[in-house]
Amino acid sequence: MSNEEDGAVPLLAARDLVKAHGRNEALRGATVELRPGEILAVTGASGSGKSTLLHCLAGIVRPDSGAVTYGGERLDRLPERRLSELRRTEFGVVFQFGQLIPELTALDNVALPLLLGGARRQEAQASAGEWLERFGVRGQEELRPGEMSGGQAQRVALARALVTGPKVVFADEPTGALDSLASEQVMSALTHTARESGTAVLLITHDAQVAAYADREVRLADGAVLPLEVGV
Amino acid sequence: MSADLRLAWLLTRGSDRREWWRVALTAVGAALATGIGLAFATVASIRGRYSVSVGSGLLDDASDRQGVMITLLMLLVPVLGFLGQCARVGAVHRDRRLAALRLAGATPAQVRRIAALEAGLACLTGSTLATAVSVPLLLSLWQHPEPLAWVGMALVAVAVPVLGAAVSALALRRVVASPLGWVRRVRPTRGPGRVFGALTVLLVVLAAYVGLNMYRGNRLGVALGPLTVFATSLLLGVAAVWLAGWSSRRLGTALAARAQRPALLIAAERLRDDPWATARTHAAVLLVTVVGTAFAGIRAVMLHIVNGTTPLSETNAYYTTGLDLTAAAILLALALTLSALAVGTAESLASRRRGLAAQAAAGVPQSVLGRALLLETALPLAPAVLLAGAGGTAIYVGWAELIDDAVGPVPLLPVLVPVAVYAACLLAAAMSLPLLRRSVRPAELRYA
Amino acid sequence: MIAMSTRHILLGLLATGPSHGYDLKRRHDERFPRARPLAYGQVYTTLQRLVRDGLAEVDGTDSDGGPERTMYRATDDGARELAQWACEIAPPAPFVTNEIFAKVVVSILSGGDPDAYLLAQRAAHMTRMRELTALKTTPGADLASVLSADYALNHLDADLRWMTTTAARLTTLTAEVDPA
Repeated sequence: MSNEEDGAVPLLAARDLVKAHGRNEALRGATVELRPGEILAVTGASGSGKSTLLHCLAGIVRPDSGAVTYGGERLDRLPERRLSELRRTEFGVVFQFGQLIPELTALDNVALPLLLGGARRQEAQASAGEWLERFGVRGQEELRPGEMSGGQAQRVALARALVTGPKVVFADEPTGALDSLASEQVMSALTHTARESGTAVLLITHDAQVAAYADREVRLADGAVLPLEVGV
Repeated sequence: MSADLRLAWLLTRGSDRREWWRVALTAVGAALATGIGLAFATVASIRGRYSVSVGSGLLDDASDRQGVMITLLMLLVPVLGFLGQCARVGAVHRDRRLAALRLAGATPAQVRRIAALEAGLACLTGSTLATAVSVPLLLSLWQHPEPLAWVGMALVAVAVPVLGAAVSALALRRVVASPLGWVRRVRPTRGPGRVFGALTVLLVVLAAYVGLNMYRGNRLGVALGPLTVFATSLLLGVAAVWLAGWSSRRLGTALAARAQRPALLIAAERLRDDPWATARTHAAVLLVTVVGTAFAGIRAVMLHIVNGTTPLSETNAYYTTGLDLTAAAILLALALTLSALAVGTAESLASRRRGLAAQAAAGVPQSVLGRALLLETALPLAPAVLLAGAGGTAIYVGWAELIDDAVGPVPLLPVLVPVAVYAACLLAAAMSLPLLRRSVRPAELRYA
Repeated sequence: MIAMSTRHILLGLLATGPSHGYDLKRRHDERFPRARPLAYGQVYTTLQRLVRDGLAEVDGTDSDGGPERTMYRATDDGARELAQWACEIAPPAPFVTNEIFAKVVVSILSGGDPDAYLLAQRAAHMTRMRELTALKTTPGADLASVLSADYALNHLDADLRWMTTTAARLTTLTAEVDPA
């Protein structure tokens, strides 16, 4: 790997991750690094372990063995409270679907991490409104997720991931359920904002055109990272 | 804390019809539990010998009151079973919501608080309703109730919502642990759980103690006491649950391999996949069967004695009222249990809506799906009800032996009890069939 | 470009053993049904140029009771030239599919390393796609540029998808191509 020579300290690093779901080995010694502010695409066929890798890196799931390091601390050893706090403040997560709460309006959904952190409703909603405007979903704040189109819902999800100004955004097939134009809107919004604010992005996708939005690509096959890395 | 309250309110405000069903049913269950608790507190506060207007002398004596109190306690079991089923209404949806909250960064404690608030508020509604009805009722029967009665009632009225909140927080610990609750569909089928296992152990120990006591001496006193009957019934009920779970898996596997008709195949596979789900649902049914069978036998024997023998210490009415009240209690328990079963079946159907709609769209006829649904209830219940009935019969036969030799012919009625319960269960499950018709529309396939 | 490919394809077909012109034309048309069928004249001209450049040589004549036919054979230089060509990355512009396909088949015939080639070609494609995407998302990009970038991206994506599937199928493909 070329990372050692850089001298750049990776923001998030995974080393030799192993994770099995029941009898199915999803990850077999995966090693990957994410540098501050970079947009990294992780590609591979379905079943190659991409989602599991993302879950381990985001602290959502604990690997069976191996180490996940974030800014110097061991992520896989942190207590659940600290992990929740991280998810609220420094990590943002976007999934393919289903992460919005159907009972809350778009505005409240975006304001949720702030509300959970104890912010006042007024302030939280003000921040949320700004982000919705940035992603062009202003005017739909009072709608519930079930009343919006897929593309709009994903942009709301994106706004929620970014509202707390995170250091890393984890996106698992964010455009999987969208058509090409909606995909482009979501990906442009994501990459522009990330580059502006210096947020690192870990992007999982099986679509090459989506992966092309990233600075660097890493391929997974059978739970391990393929030796050939391509990038800047 | 206020943030959690605000969130809980926001979430409740936006919820759909299923959530309101759960809240309503929980409130009803809580009201029942509170009612029973209030009656218990009132009876417990009576000291010494009174002449109570209600109950034809049953509440006069301390030892009789003990029996009444124990019956009331036993009634709590099906109520708890009912509450447990109510908690499952819309549970899948709620688990998803909680997981989404966790993903957004809520700590496990926060999510537990929010869920507990929801449950606690529902229980509070029920408890308040029950108290509002019970207090005037009590005052009409008992002009100057003991202060202890008031204290007891207040305790019960507060305890129910608090316990409700606590239990729901506890029950959610598995969901709360992982923010991915909805992603991984492969959920390992849970066995009876540690609490249930502990209960079983406790009961076995108790049974051993009773057995030992009987062996040493003082046989009749302890053996006939309500505590023994209670404990033995509970033990047998628990054993029936274990049997139900174990046999479900074996039955499911065996039938799945040999099934010729599609309905049977579907039911058998579901059984094999999650054997403990049915056991949990039917625990209360089995307990009621044991108790009901035992009671039917005991009642027949007692009536024989009461009507036949030389003058007894109390009036006939004393005994018959006691028996009738107990019969009423058992019927109430049965009704609760059957309602819980109906709720459980309906909920299980509703949560499988999409899969069922897909099957119907693929050409599986509705009659097959309906039959599979009924078989899912009928198959695992059969051996368990059999054992429960046998256990109940054993209890009353043993009791009859201990009481007297010249007891008369062994009554046949008790044998009918398990059969009746089984039929009633099937009926309760069949009540969900109209829901099946509604669930199976192709429009169901659209919603993600 | 096309001419160069033809000579390499012929070299590739010769890699399995000596052959005469008629046979080469037939096998070419079978192997690459999407390409324009080779004319005999073109085959012989290319063969002669190969001989002139030292990449092929005459392997005797074969008269099987009919008119005389010259057998040709690849030289060591020819084999080397072939291997090098097969490993070279084709510039990722639209419509490179034929060339990629040719390289893969030829690699298999000549016992090269199609896997490594596909990986490297894929990497080149991805780099070009990243460039095009950056172009497309530049603020203030005019519609025409966006449209042309989109067009190129979609075709490169199609190539990429084919390459990924081929890489996965490689074992089956080898068995299919080789017995010929």
